[in-house]
Amino acid sequence: MTDGHATDVHHDSHAPHHVWYFGVFGALCVLTALSVMFDVLDIRGKHTIAGINLLLAVLVLSVATAKALFVMTYFMHLKFEGRWKFLLLSPTVILAIGLPLALLPDVGVHYYTTDVPQNSAHVTERSHTQLETTSESPH
Amino acid sequence: MGLPIPNSKLGMWLFLGTEIMFFTAFIGTYIVLRLGSPDWPHDPNVTHIRIWAGGLNTFVLLASSYLVVVAHESMVARNIPRAKRYLMGTFALACVFLGIKGYEYYGKWQHDILPGHIAEDDNQAMTKTLGDFEKTLNRQYARYVPDSEAARLADKRAAIDAKMKDASPEVQKQVDALKALDKQYLALRTQHQELKLQLVPLSEKLEELKTNPEFAGLLGGLEAHHPIKYGNIFASTYFLMTGFHAIHVIVGMIMFAIPLWVISLDHRWTDYVENCGLYWHFVDLVWIFLFPLVYII
Repeated sequence: MTDGHATDVHHDSHAPHHVWYFGVFGALCVLTALSVMFDVLDIRGKHTIAGINLLLAVLVLSVATAKALFVMTYFMHLKFEGRWKFLLLSPTVILAIGLPLALLPDVGVHYYTTDVPQNSAHVTERSHTQLETTSESPH
Repeated sequence: MGLPIPNSKLGMWLFLGTEIMFFTAFIGTYIVLRLGSPDWPHDPNVTHIRIWAGGLNTFVLLASSYLVVVAHESMVARNIPRAKRYLMGTFALACVFLGIKGYEYYGKWQHDILPGHIAEDDNQAMTKTLGDFEKTLNRQYARYVPDSEAARLADKRAAIDAKMKDASPEVQKQVDALKALDKQYLALRTQHQELKLQLVPLSEKLEELKTNPEFAGLLGGLEAHHPIKYGNIFASTYFLMTGFHAIHVIVGMIMFAIPLWVISLDHRWTDYVENCGLYWHFVDLVWIFLFPLVYII
């Protein structure tokens, strides 16, 4: 329900913003289709990190960032909000980025070989025929 | 002095600030683990992750986000019936999202892609396969010696001859086939215990037994397991991220159900609808990043 304000200043959160929301939705759908297309076309670059196709990762994460910006800017109305949005969101974003950055040097990227059972495990790779058999399942 | 927004909206944004940290902890940990695990499973035929399901769910959530924003717009314009229709559409799309997610989870459950269930090397794969073989035999024996009389396979073996005293020749023939199959299983198990068994010969032996007319129908559904390196941590992170996201979808549905069915919606609920919308867009945002990370990369 409607409630009090955090300040005496009159806010304009209910003022019409004249955004063509359906256009934004359409752009989001096109960007999603683009991500799927990158995967279906099996785009491959020269570089990989830990088996990750770098080019594909950069492409789809850039598309995801663009989609996120569309949602935040227009659907969440951040475009029309005051500067308080930076004040409120900066600490949480810094802390959110801090965790993976702190873990990355040891767990993610390191010069030494980690002593995990998977490194010494004897694994027979599945044959192509076996993979085709399992892929018959729709799930 | 203060911020030029309603208290409820400020509260929602502060809450979303904590939610950003909540999900980035999961997603960040996933990325770091993935970078640190060179053989992380990403083949869809191994992980049973289907891009069409993820893509469809992305579209469903984007459409639901669009409906929320136009529902709020309708509330601002005091067009309550239209706002209600859009909110109902959002609720229905949330149900569709959970339906597709449930279908995907069912696939994981069917293929036993569950934390702690996945064999990560040949030895574990053979142990798991022979465990399934034993379960299959136990099920077949239970046709003649019910679980209520003997729960363990060893007890069923001991009891079956006494049970078959007055059996017809046809039943006796079926039991003989089962006992012959059991003998094959025991031989494989002994080889495995003596570390003389290997995964490829075991898979071939299973195929041979399945195609043997003598054992027709006795081994239905039994498949040799294959190792998936880092499969368990993959499954843990997959269910952690998508599971918490699904919980957030359910919470959002409850938030939308209140103005739809619990109270009588009128213009005084405009702030409420806007705040629910902010929450829902955040749920959408999380999925926007989960989709490429889990389904594509």
